[in-house]
Amino acid sequence: MTDTTASTPARAGATSWLGKLEGKISWILLGLAGLALPLLDDSYIGVIAQRACIYWVLSAGLNLVVGYAGQIAIGWVSMLTLGAYTTAALAAGRVGAEWNPYLALAAGGVMGAIFGVIVGLPALRLRTFYFAMTTLGFATIVTQVALAWKDVTGGGVGTPGPTFPWPFEPGWGFYYFCFILAAVATWMTANIGSSRYGRALVAIRDAEVAAEASGIAKPKLLIMVFLLAGALGGVAGGLFASLQSYITPDAFTFEMSVLFFIAILIGGRGSILGPVLGTIILTALPEFAAPLVQWSTFLYAVLLLAIVLLVPGGIADLLDFKNRRPLTQHREIVPRTELLKRALDKTDGKHSIVLKDIALHFGGVRAIDGLDLEIRSGEVHGLIGPNGSGKTTTLNVISGYYRPKTGTMKLDGADMPFDQPHARASYRIARTFQTPRIVGAASVLENVMIGGTVHGQATFTEAMLSLPRNRRDEKLLRQAAMQALATVGLESLADVRADRLQHSELRFIEIARALMLRPAFLMLDEPAAGLSTEEIKRLGALIKAISREGTGVLLVEHHADLIFDICDRVTVLNLGKELAAGTPAEIRAHREVVSAYLGA
Amino acid sequence: MFASIISYGLAVGAVYALIGITYNVMFSASRVFSFTAGMLGMLGGVLGALFIKDWGINAVLGFVAVLACGAVLGLVTEILTVRPVLKNIEQHLYVLSTLAFALMIQQVTAIEYGTEAYPFPVLIPIDANSILAIVDQKFWLPVLACIVTIVGLEFLYRRTLIGRAFLAIAEDSYAARALGLPETRLRMASYALAGVIGTLAGFTGAQMLLAFIGNQPILNFYGFVPVALGGMGSNRGAVIGGLALGLFQQAANFLVGGIFAAVAVFAVFIVVLLLRPEGLAGASAARRV
Amino acid sequence: MSIKRRTVLTGSAAGVVSLTSGLAAPAIAQSDPIKIGYLPALTGPSSSTGVGINRGTQLAVEEINKAGGIKGRKIELITRDTQSDPTKAVNAVAELTQRAKASMIWGPVNSGEALAATPLIARDKVPMLHPCWVDELIDVKKYPMAFRIAPTNTQVGGGANHYVVDVLKLKKVAVVSDTTGYGTASANTYVPMLKAKGAEVVYTNHVDAANPDLKPELLRMQSAGAQAIMPWSVNAGFLSRILNTRGAMGWDVPVVGQTTLGSGQTKALLEKPENWNKVYSNNFRNCCYVNGKLPPRAADYVERLKKEKIEFADTLLWWVALGWDGAFMMADALKNAGTKNEDIVAYMNKVKDWPGIYGTVTWTPEQHNGFPDQEVVMCEVNSLRDGAFNIAPGYSS
Repeated sequence: MTDTTASTPARAGATSWLGKLEGKISWILLGLAGLALPLLDDSYIGVIAQRACIYWVLSAGLNLVVGYAGQIAIGWVSMLTLGAYTTAALAAGRVGAEWNPYLALAAGGVMGAIFGVIVGLPALRLRTFYFAMTTLGFATIVTQVALAWKDVTGGGVGTPGPTFPWPFEPGWGFYYFCFILAAVATWMTANIGSSRYGRALVAIRDAEVAAEASGIAKPKLLIMVFLLAGALGGVAGGLFASLQSYITPDAFTFEMSVLFFIAILIGGRGSILGPVLGTIILTALPEFAAPLVQWSTFLYAVLLLAIVLLVPGGIADLLDFKNRRPLTQHREIVPRTELLKRALDKTDGKHSIVLKDIALHFGGVRAIDGLDLEIRSGEVHGLIGPNGSGKTTTLNVISGYYRPKTGTMKLDGADMPFDQPHARASYRIARTFQTPRIVGAASVLENVMIGGTVHGQATFTEAMLSLPRNRRDEKLLRQAAMQALATVGLESLADVRADRLQHSELRFIEIARALMLRPAFLMLDEPAAGLSTEEIKRLGALIKAISREGTGVLLVEHHADLIFDICDRVTVLNLGKELAAGTPAEIRAHREVVSAYLGA
Repeated sequence: MFASIISYGLAVGAVYALIGITYNVMFSASRVFSFTAGMLGMLGGVLGALFIKDWGINAVLGFVAVLACGAVLGLVTEILTVRPVLKNIEQHLYVLSTLAFALMIQQVTAIEYGTEAYPFPVLIPIDANSILAIVDQKFWLPVLACIVTIVGLEFLYRRTLIGRAFLAIAEDSYAARALGLPETRLRMASYALAGVIGTLAGFTGAQMLLAFIGNQPILNFYGFVPVALGGMGSNRGAVIGGLALGLFQQAANFLVGGIFAAVAVFAVFIVVLLLRPEGLAGASAARRV
Repeated sequence: MSIKRRTVLTGSAAGVVSLTSGLAAPAIAQSDPIKIGYLPALTGPSSSTGVGINRGTQLAVEEINKAGGIKGRKIELITRDTQSDPTKAVNAVAELTQRAKASMIWGPVNSGEALAATPLIARDKVPMLHPCWVDELIDVKKYPMAFRIAPTNTQVGGGANHYVVDVLKLKKVAVVSDTTGYGTASANTYVPMLKAKGAEVVYTNHVDAANPDLKPELLRMQSAGAQAIMPWSVNAGFLSRILNTRGAMGWDVPVVGQTTLGSGQTKALLEKPENWNKVYSNNFRNCCYVNGKLPPRAADYVERLKKEKIEFADTLLWWVALGWDGAFMMADALKNAGTKNEDIVAYMNKVKDWPGIYGTVTWTPEQHNGFPDQEVVMCEVNSLRDGAFNIAPGYSS
């Protein structure tokens, strides 16, 4: 009824309601199918469905590790093993008295959480291959210990799995138990995924340096994720033990680990729905393709290779119809500097970052050789010089990526520690990068929201359970990000995947992301590179306006015109040393600089 | 018993060291750790047994054929699984693509050749009374292969022009390309070389480790441990780490039994990684920004 | 609107129910085939036994059906390959018992799968017959409908222990196993049994089957004064390394143990054929040559198979015979008791001295392990011909 007589605003409302439904329709269908499954009255399908749900409980957690954080945990089956044996051994009374199966299942989750963190520890310092090897090695060890520790695990003969009493007794009751837990796991991980923690994980995966500059502390976040993924793996293990009715070490194969892992990648990194579908498909497929069973691992491997090489986005990308709609051609970026007043806190106080006698070597090369520099609030400070003169290196020292060999760095007179790039956000020092560090798979809005991660109040648990504080965080971050995007003139692209944008737009997105910190100091690394003349002019106006709101700007740039147009002071570097410093007018008159860089 | 620890330990250690070098040669050329290293080791044994024992090819020809297969697999690895994902190396997709390729080869081997451990022929007919027979050839062959490889690599890298080009790529591929070095071709050559070294490890070690599909994961892990301990890219580190690992494992086997050895190696691996991520002898990490 | 939606939903759900119940309730006519669910491991790491058993089972079902089936009804063997993977076995059980409504289950043939499958089949109250050795698989209280047509591990180990202690009269024994479930469980069961028989177990250990060097193990056994080695493993590589190391050390002790000691794969891995001397593996009296001749039942059987050009080059007589016996045992039960589960169990509870090719089977309501102790014997592994071995020296014939 409303459809036929709708006025224009009502229709707009309807489309957004439809848009929301479009995103949720797959979940609704999946949920209904899951709830209605017992109506089929076919317990063979029931067993397959139980298995799919159980595998998904594990994969849901693993999805945060692999799909979101990009940590290559190939051997996560070890968490299933641990959870299965813990639950089974406690429920069977192999350790002390017989536990209630539900309590034993919870204990399996706790065990998984503990070992999830232990196995995850190397990932805090080392990425990828080392971590992959660690998880693989751990999976082997767990099986060997299960074989050797006969009193608890029954050794090779194994141990009976728990049978859950009412209301989740074997059969469809147990199916609903698995289904509910899978739904809860989905809900929790989806909450994490759509919170600032989820965005931070994806940022760690695709733009680790930018994540650090935005104040994201990788170790703390990853430990939380490993804890959750381990716990879910352990719970899945307890359910698995019950489904199998009897567990032996040979039930926990490497192939199973590969299955979990590939299901997530087929589903698509950074998606929740995709990996769910991937897990269901890979669990059910071998049952219906019996002749291919011998080749199943081979086919998984082919699938994995094909996904990596051809569709890195997986199923989720194929289902992402929204981002196939064409974008407007010939888009213009028109910053609205008048909005800056709301995006930045105008401060009257004078702040400064003072570098004294900074020196830094790379091997035998002196990258910076005794540099003094002062950045003051409300000013644009230009840093120019030929390639290799130490401009970006200076910026990296200030943002904590390099530790200089000598020298001091003070913020408002107090020592500012070297290193700790993720701590810069708390000093409200923001930056951009020479090549934009953007999460291509996330939307423009999400990319900008990453910049405001430190402003969030909700804890990981609050985010996981979508409690009010997290919802408030999200609302505030979203508003601030929209405002930042409007300020740089890109709000119309908020929902577009960032990797669909032009290079110049990425530069402005980086500035919007930096603005999310409400920075006291903003460091821009060649922001004009790749921009058209018109865009450079607008960029200049934007930078100038930012500084007039009280933010101190350090501008590394090659475009002399831009530097001389907007800078209040300029430092010229050569071979890591200051060649000249002063107002643009003084520099323009500096003979050495003119002859060397500016041309006659 | 002491002699047994030493002979087996050094022989197994030499195989680990060679697999470690295989990892390193690929890593130096591309900054990529490839899961194909263990696969090459496994195939060295399986293909050797297939060619020499099953098809009756002469041992020398069989040896050359195995190494040639290794080189071809190295090239395929580079073209199929490494080059396409190299431009986004910070996404580390190579871990997945090389794992997928290694799993594919492993599965084909399992189905076509079998999952049991098969014997490997005795390669060199040695008179039981000759000096060479004092120590069984299954012990000294991998050690000899390891020595030849490390000396050969040192010679290649230090004394020849192409070797220096390899080193230049390993140091700084951007700069090397700027100098006009054919980076892609050098990378392919490195992968072919890694293929040869990996299959050489498997071939010379197979009288001891047998022609066995299960060697793939074992060599993948235990071949990587010396790289992690010795520092990535360091061949000398890999040799020292490999031999130490082999001796430690054998000693533990003799003194306390297998499972404790496995747990101990894993614990050492984790602790070293946590305390010195760059390895015991490695240099600190490269620039990131 | 919400009401309407709900009616649509329940309507469609009702439709689903009627559709499937239509499918799930077939009219049982007397000419319909009788379904037997069958769970062999035909692929995967430990499948050679399954392949051998499968040959016998398929032959038997073919023969039964050719002869008119069971009271005019054909046997339909619904095969689900468990791939040596317990998770696959669990899925398969649900399919066979719930969806296919099989009257009986034959298998699984590997103990790892059987451990997971047995409680589930018991839950669904389907009579099952299996040839796995793990003792825990038979328990008339927990699984009243499960029957074993093969010996238990206790019987198998007991047979080997009997041979070492009572026939060879050796008192100092070394027991070694691999670290798999089968290996550890066997060794842990047999060591106390040996001790109970008055033997001295001078050395015992579980060794990783992938360990390339077993010399330390054997040296320790030797220095402990072992007079016989009893290895418990189904891993041919592991066993052959024990035999090769024994040969290289020139140590002349008998090796007595599991059937894999005599497998073609173990043979293929030997460095010298002589390393197979003085090696005795488990076997079964009905399938062994005594003075060069098979017992009459097996001899007839082999003659019949030879006429049908069945080769034994790549398998063993006892595997094929076991598969054959399993199928005929089930056919007998179905013929005499019908397809009702209680009737089948009641019939099988009373089977006495059932003359199989592989074994003589007797069950009682209290004892569902049907294989007689005295038919578990040892054989000389280097005497294989036509899939069977010579009985080991020392047995009364």
